Amino acid sequence: MRSRALTTFAVLVGTSVLTLAGCAGEPAAKAPAVDAAAVPEFSGTLSVLTKFAGDSLSPYFEGVVADYRKMHPEVEVELIQETDQSVKDKTKTLTASNALPDIYFSWTGDWAENFVRGGLAADLTAVIGPGTPWGATFSPAALSAFAYDGRYYGVPLYNNGKFMGYNKAAFDKAGVKVPASFEELLASCAPLREAGYEPVTFGNKDGWPALHYLQQLFAYHVPGDVLNADFDPGTAKLDHPGYVTALKQFKTLVDDCTDTRDGTNGVLYSTAQEKFLNGKAAMYYQEILEFANVTGERELKPEDFGIFPLPVPQGAAGDPRAIEGAPEGYLINARSPRVALAVDFMKFVTSRENAEKLSAAPYAQPSTVVGAVTAETSGKAVFEGIEMVNKASKLTVWLDMVTVPEVADAWLAGGEALITGSSTPEKVLESVRRASAAAK
Amino acid sequence: MRAIVRRTLGFAWVVPALVLVGVFVYLPLAQNLWFSTLEWDIYSGSREYIGLDNYGRLLQDPVFWSSFGNNLLYAAVSIAVQVFGALVLAALIESIRSERWRRGLRAVYFLPSAISLTVAGLLFYFVYEPSLGPLNHLLRSVGLGELAQAWLGQESTAMNAIIAMSQWQGFGYSTLLFAVAIQRIPAEIHGAAAIDGVGPIRRFFHVTLPLVREMTGLMAIVTVSGSFQVFNEVMVMTGGGPNNSTQVLGTWLYRSGFVRNDFGYAAAIATVLFVITLGIALLQLWFTHRRRVEW
Repeated sequence: MRSRALTTFAVLVGTSVLTLAGCAGEPAAKAPAVDAAAVPEFSGTLSVLTKFAGDSLSPYFEGVVADYRKMHPEVEVELIQETDQSVKDKTKTLTASNALPDIYFSWTGDWAENFVRGGLAADLTAVIGPGTPWGATFSPAALSAFAYDGRYYGVPLYNNGKFMGYNKAAFDKAGVKVPASFEELLASCAPLREAGYEPVTFGNKDGWPALHYLQQLFAYHVPGDVLNADFDPGTAKLDHPGYVTALKQFKTLVDDCTDTRDGTNGVLYSTAQEKFLNGKAAMYYQEILEFANVTGERELKPEDFGIFPLPVPQGAAGDPRAIEGAPEGYLINARSPRVALAVDFMKFVTSRENAEKLSAAPYAQPSTVVGAVTAETSGKAVFEGIEMVNKASKLTVWLDMVTVPEVADAWLAGGEALITGSSTPEKVLESVRRASAAAK
Repeated sequence: MRAIVRRTLGFAWVVPALVLVGVFVYLPLAQNLWFSTLEWDIYSGSREYIGLDNYGRLLQDPVFWSSFGNNLLYAAVSIAVQVFGALVLAALIESIRSERWRRGLRAVYFLPSAISLTVAGLLFYFVYEPSLGPLNHLLRSVGLGELAQAWLGQESTAMNAIIAMSQWQGFGYSTLLFAVAIQRIPAEIHGAAAIDGVGPIRRFFHVTLPLVREMTGLMAIVTVSGSFQVFNEVMVMTGGGPNNSTQVLGTWLYRSGFVRNDFGYAAAIATVLFVITLGIALLQLWFTHRRRVEW
């Protein structure tokens, strides 16, 4: 009986394997030619995957969809709303199973490039490229963030950048000024601690917050052309001395300016944020998208909230005017039978009215549409941040998004090891070099 | 003729079940085996057959081996605590004369098992939190402040902290099962041993232990098998960090596929995991087929 069962099992497995063997060596699929500029047919169901799940953001797309359906009642919209973390898994699962929605969320950098390379993102150059009426409504930098080989694939929805948020009252109490250099930032930590504050609150449980510090420091220390070459495993050397300097400075910041020091990996990003909002910490490195959390309902009052870019270290050889950040937006599935309808929907989403709505409270996501973000509609800090982003010499994309996942993962593990002290800057860089070489 | 019809009809009744098992169990299993021999780019859809290369990479991957080591550590601690520790505790509880106390203690120890692992993981994440967590607060308040640390933030303590949480969560369930096994031992056997002057400790080793051998073996197998399926608590508490120090095979599989886009390699890890758990399951089948202890 048992041997018969085993035989049946073997036959089952063998048959399945043979059936699947036909799938071997499938060539990479090319994106089908799509006419994004065609006149849309207002019927059918449009599926949209967003990153706006949650109480504060989910009503935005729900409202936009309701308004769109008032104009086109014959169009159904299936809204799939995910969180910042879950959208990653969801998108990859849908991609692997050939079930990508018509419109889907995307970061810039390597993340979006994968979809472009795989023929899964429609070429929108004809409708959103420079010189087109729709393209002219966006800031050029935001638009070009989704450009690959001169073609435009993404619809940037909102802009983002990373800044050090600080508590002005804490700075006044400790008698410190906004630091003009990274060294001054480090020097300010002792008086802030004496004044009863954790100088810099930092939670690295998820690993990526450390990469945000590192990427900004890399941009300051490593010349832009070297940095860009190092993101690509095909050209990476990762031998510029600026990397080690940046890693050392990051470690000094963690050791001297946080209360959690080598235990920072055990703290949630949101716990650190809470400390800042509750007035227990003087500084917190955060994205523009987080500025809306300063509502005045906690200890930190909006009038006491200020921002500055992470100060530039003295003698840094890179770009002192670079700011870490990138727009986030949406791609249109090149294999969708409703590309023109999807374009029409995204034009509606990024209309001036909806862009202003997105930029204002309670959403406070600074739209990439020119003129949609003002001090009146978006609040002083958001406006100030976006102004600095617009004036930056370049936007340096998040380290975990700009390079291939294997290298990003090596940076992530290296950042954590640096914090705990189990690895040195030199060893971290060596592990990243190995990962990059393996990813060639 | 009638027999043939009956046999055919009987087969027809099981066909839907066979189809379901085939489609949802054996087909994915076979697919996984196949995927483990591919270099698969989910974006372009290209699948290149690379034979056993992914398995060769496994052998040279230090994170795979440290993950495997963490699973083994998890299993070893679970055997000690959830099998032998739970057996001792069950024997102690069952030796209490008061029925009310016995019931009360069983309920107290079982309570954590009623909480899902994900919720327990989240709960303990806050217990271990370095500055706000009650564990460090307790240590500081009893003068052991130098022991306070970031339990989940240090490579040296993170895995042990996760294992400690899972023991807390699973200990009561094992205790309850052992208590039931001990209750099945006829009271006369213990009574006779006591009349012969056998003390409680010798009674445990020479009466209780041999008579719950079947349950002990089964629990050991189930516990080891469970230790290789660990996923939720690690994902919730550390996500495998810091520096991959708390990766187990399940989380490294997930990370390889869903973070590093290396789905062929992830399938190879899944195959190894399947072989291990299949081996343990076969051991369990063999064990349950053995002759029972009778009295």
